[in-house]
Amino acid sequence: MSPGMINLGRSGSLRNSKSGNKTIILKVPSEIKQIKKVSSGILDSLASQNIDEAALFDIRLCVEEAVRNAIVHGNHCDKRLSVTVSYWIEEGSFIIEVEDEGKGFDHKYLPDPTDEGNMLRNHGRGVYLIKRLMNEVQYNDTGNKVRMVKRIEQ
Amino acid sequence: MALKTEQKNGLMVCHIDGEIDINTAPDLKRAFDKLLSKKELKIVINLTKVTYVDSSGLATLVEILKNMRAYGGKMRLTNLSPKIKSLFEITKLEKLFDIKASEEEAISTFV
Repeated sequence: MSPGMINLGRSGSLRNSKSGNKTIILKVPSEIKQIKKVSSGILDSLASQNIDEAALFDIRLCVEEAVRNAIVHGNHCDKRLSVTVSYWIEEGSFIIEVEDEGKGFDHKYLPDPTDEGNMLRNHGRGVYLIKRLMNEVQYNDTGNKVRMVKRIEQ
Repeated sequence: MALKTEQKNGLMVCHIDGEIDINTAPDLKRAFDKLLSKKELKIVINLTKVTYVDSSGLATLVEILKNMRAYGGKMRLTNLSPKIKSLFEITKLEKLFDIKASEEEAISTFV
C-alpha cells in the first residue's frame, strides 16, 4: 500500500478524486454488522484531520443512517447484494457517497417525522437527520445513491 | 450498553451507560419491557453516560414512552449531552419528552 493510502478492508480500493485527494472505496455485504465497521473505519481515517467532536458525531451518525438504509431498505439485508461507500476530503469538506443495489426510493415523499401525527412513530427519522446534519445531501434520480457533504473546516 | 436501576424518593431512576444505536436498541427495549411489566408509574432515565444515539435509539425511547403512556406512566429524561439534546431538538422530540437538566430536578419536581 502506498504512503497516505488507507485500506479499510479486503474489498477496499483507492482512486483519485478530481482534486487529487485520496478517495477510499469500500464495498460491503448487506449485513447489519457492517454499519459499525464502515463508520469506525471512516472515523479512524479522519482522526488526523483535526475535525471537531460535534462534526465527527454528525458524520458518524449520517454515515450509519445512510449505510443502514442502504442495507435494510435498499438491499433488504440480502447478503448477496453490496453497499458501496466512497469518501474523500475536498476543499474543506468531507464528502461521502453511499450506494445500494436496490430499486431506490423518492426521498421527497417521505413523511415528515416532526409532524405532530408522526411524532410517535418508531421509525422514519434517519433520512431527516441526514438532511439536517449534513451541509449538502443529494440523491440520484433512482434514489439508490446518496451523496453527503459535511464542512470540516470553518 | 448497560442499564442500572435504583429507587429514589418513591420513583425509579434508570441509568443507561453506553451507546443507544441499531445494535444496542433491541437490548434496551427488552430491558424496559421487563421493567414496564411492573407498571412503574414514574421513571427518570438518566443519560449522563450515553455518548451516542442514532435514529434506532430515538425510536426505542419513543417506544418506551408510548408503552408507559399506555398504562398512565410518566417518564422523564435527564442529563442529555449537548449533542444528544440537539438531536431531540432537531427531531422535535423535545416536545414529546419531558426533559430536565439534572436527575435531582427531575426527581424533586415529579408530581
